Amino acid sequence: MKICNRVALLAAVSALAVGLPAAGQAQNITIAVGAQVTSLDPQYHALSPNYAVAEMLFGALTGFDANGRLQPGLAESWKPVAPDTWEFKLRPGVKFHNGNDFTAEDVAFSIARPPTVPNSPSSYAIYTRAVKGVEIVDPLTIRLKTDGPYPLLPTDLGQVAMLDKQTHEGATTEDFNSGKVAIGAGPFRFVSFRSGDRLELERNEDYWGPKPVWKHVSYRIITNNGARMAAMLAGDVDMIDQVPTNDIARLRRESRVKLSEKDGLRIIFLGTDQSRDGESPYLSDNDGKPLPRNPLRDLRVRQALNIAIDRPAIVQRVMEGSALPSAQFLPSGTFGYVPGLEPVRSDVNTAKKLLADAGYPNGFRITLAGPNDRYLNDARILQAVGQMWSRIGVQANVEAMPWTTFAARRTRQEFGAFLSGWGTASAEASSPLRSLTATPSREKGWGGSNGGRYSNPEADAKLEAALSELDDAKRETLLQDATRITMEDVGIMPIHIQKNVWAMKPNLVHDARADELTRAQDVRPAAK
Amino acid sequence: MSASSLPQGGLPTATVTGAPLKVETPFRRFVSEFFESKTAVFGLVVFVLAVTIALLAPFIAPQNPYDLAQLDIMDGRLEPGTVGGAGFTYWLGTDDQGRDMLSGIMYGLRISLAVGAGSAIVACLVGASLGLLAAYAGGKTDTVIMRLVDLQLSFPSILAALMILAFLGKGIMNVVLALVIVEWAYYARTVRGTALVERRREYIEAAQCLALPTWRIIFRHLLPNCLPPLIVVGTMQVARAIALEATLSFLGLGVPITEPSLGLLISNGYEYMLSGKYWISFYPGIALLVTIVSINLVGDHLRDVLNPRLKK
Repeated sequence: MKICNRVALLAAVSALAVGLPAAGQAQNITIAVGAQVTSLDPQYHALSPNYAVAEMLFGALTGFDANGRLQPGLAESWKPVAPDTWEFKLRPGVKFHNGNDFTAEDVAFSIARPPTVPNSPSSYAIYTRAVKGVEIVDPLTIRLKTDGPYPLLPTDLGQVAMLDKQTHEGATTEDFNSGKVAIGAGPFRFVSFRSGDRLELERNEDYWGPKPVWKHVSYRIITNNGARMAAMLAGDVDMIDQVPTNDIARLRRESRVKLSEKDGLRIIFLGTDQSRDGESPYLSDNDGKPLPRNPLRDLRVRQALNIAIDRPAIVQRVMEGSALPSAQFLPSGTFGYVPGLEPVRSDVNTAKKLLADAGYPNGFRITLAGPNDRYLNDARILQAVGQMWSRIGVQANVEAMPWTTFAARRTRQEFGAFLSGWGTASAEASSPLRSLTATPSREKGWGGSNGGRYSNPEADAKLEAALSELDDAKRETLLQDATRITMEDVGIMPIHIQKNVWAMKPNLVHDARADELTRAQDVRPAAK
Repeated sequence: MSASSLPQGGLPTATVTGAPLKVETPFRRFVSEFFESKTAVFGLVVFVLAVTIALLAPFIAPQNPYDLAQLDIMDGRLEPGTVGGAGFTYWLGTDDQGRDMLSGIMYGLRISLAVGAGSAIVACLVGASLGLLAAYAGGKTDTVIMRLVDLQLSFPSILAALMILAFLGKGIMNVVLALVIVEWAYYARTVRGTALVERRREYIEAAQCLALPTWRIIFRHLLPNCLPPLIVVGTMQVARAIALEATLSFLGLGVPITEPSLGLLISNGYEYMLSGKYWISFYPGIALLVTIVSINLVGDHLRDVLNPRLKK
């Protein structure tokens, strides 16, 4: 009772202090995010927090819905007019925050700018690289030429923020950060930005889409998990992202907050060394003597290791339920998801039999390496897998190390098996297929993160065909085939897909996104 | 300096003349003085107990916490006193991997004590040798060594250790090496101070007049007379090394994750503290605290006993 009174008093006092009637509070929202917004220049540093801000301030030709499916943005529609040419129809009547009209000239400028941004830590140029020529048909129609058929162009352009040629020609990244040219066509306008602390935004009254609910948005950056949680529990902020897994169980019982969750686009998986045929310093028999052949080249051994992993146990015990056991790259609802491809039930006896058939009845020793600072609970997952493999006689020497060290060692194949993760921002299966399991090839840009140097010509052929197939339905089938072939061959062992979890005040509703982005336009007050 | 050394020189004779019937050797006097303090004796008993537990861990621990095959993740984060899937009781609960905390602490003590003592001994050998050399040789050698010491001491030891480990990589031997590099300077400075006073004494002059080899003068004549402060610093540094190792492991730079020391056990449970699962960090923390305090109690009193200036 006393507490109730105090809360009421506090609310009254704070309302007075702000000088606003209590009803006015509903116009403002304070969101605390766990990752740094490194720049307001939407073409400087390709990083998801920056991308979230770009979506609030700027917007792109295309966008992604909560499931990661492609949807129209500043372009109303698009279609291939020739195998190597895409035509985009722009949305009419769109204005930038300064009143300038959005036209095809601006599109051409925005697509040309990313490679010219100096000192970019992670360039947006990879999303515009495919464009080989630009043809402006009329102010609201633009044609983009590619080098051969390139079905992913609309997806790639979903990452490229649209700028105003008149304002941004010659503008530097510093000009964006200072707010001078932080002008876009997004649902919110720039108010102020203090790097590492907060970004203040206000509603764009002339937004082309549904009118934003919030008059004022305070986007705070609190990278420390504990501090962000404390701010939420104390009511200092209305919403936080990246809720630590350890706290989820407790928060579910808490009446002051509610959670919103969504299966993410980040798969946590194990890869095996396929690069060596013979002896490996990271594989040995139970006495420590090197094995004459690499057992991991044998499908039965890979199957055994895969079946030995108890995914529900990892999800339940290590991830505290905030993950989804998986047998493929992406969650359902995404482009290229294979319906019916479910994780195998863990089974020690079947695994042991497979190992015995392959000639390793007593198992072997293997170095299992992975990062300890990159993915949620990464080092814990490594140890749990080590436990599960020890049940079938495979003794894992678990080595967890900082990501930078691990990444270098992974490139040099200094492991028997490794744990890694892959976030598919575009939410379609060609991205993981190309990077994680395709036969490494520098000229094609394939296998960039294929740490085990896995290779499967059959899957490669399907992927190759998919990458030049402009018909969406046919392309999806090809990607599904490639995924199925890779998974049946245990090219990688998916463990789980992380869930993205937000916490907010109970009077808010949030459309949780698969791509981890925290945007003010996805939150609204609950209907009364 | 020579003025301040005079009363010290006079002291032993004064005590010897007052000796009772029993023949009093310096060692006996030291032992009896040490046992006068109850706290120091208590510290010693606790420390000996910790060492015994550490040595006997493989025989008395209910589980081998370093063998992944003996752990079960389904037993993870159980409360103290729960009976696990393997049939024995987890008296101090389990950590996130289902590791019995009691066994984990026993094995963790082994690593902490071994790393602490190992690094202290090596650092002592290196530091004392260099300190003696600096004091005896003087001149440029002295300057070079002592500036090195200054450089070392002006650096926060945790930062230096972090840098060394970042360069060398993880592993117990690298932790020991990092601790040696961080700690030798303390020994060197202590020994040099004492040795500077001692080398002006008559017995050194006498030895020099006998034309004894330099190494013999340093190690047979100078060193034994510098031992008391060295023992004190050594004891304190063991405690410091244990704390430093725990810090490094806590930061994830020490031992492998499958073979946790006390610091890593604390780190494993740290994230669960706010979720009410206190035991994962709490008990290893207590074990670490008790060990370090017991060593410090012994060290403090050793300093009182061995430093004549503190005597009334």
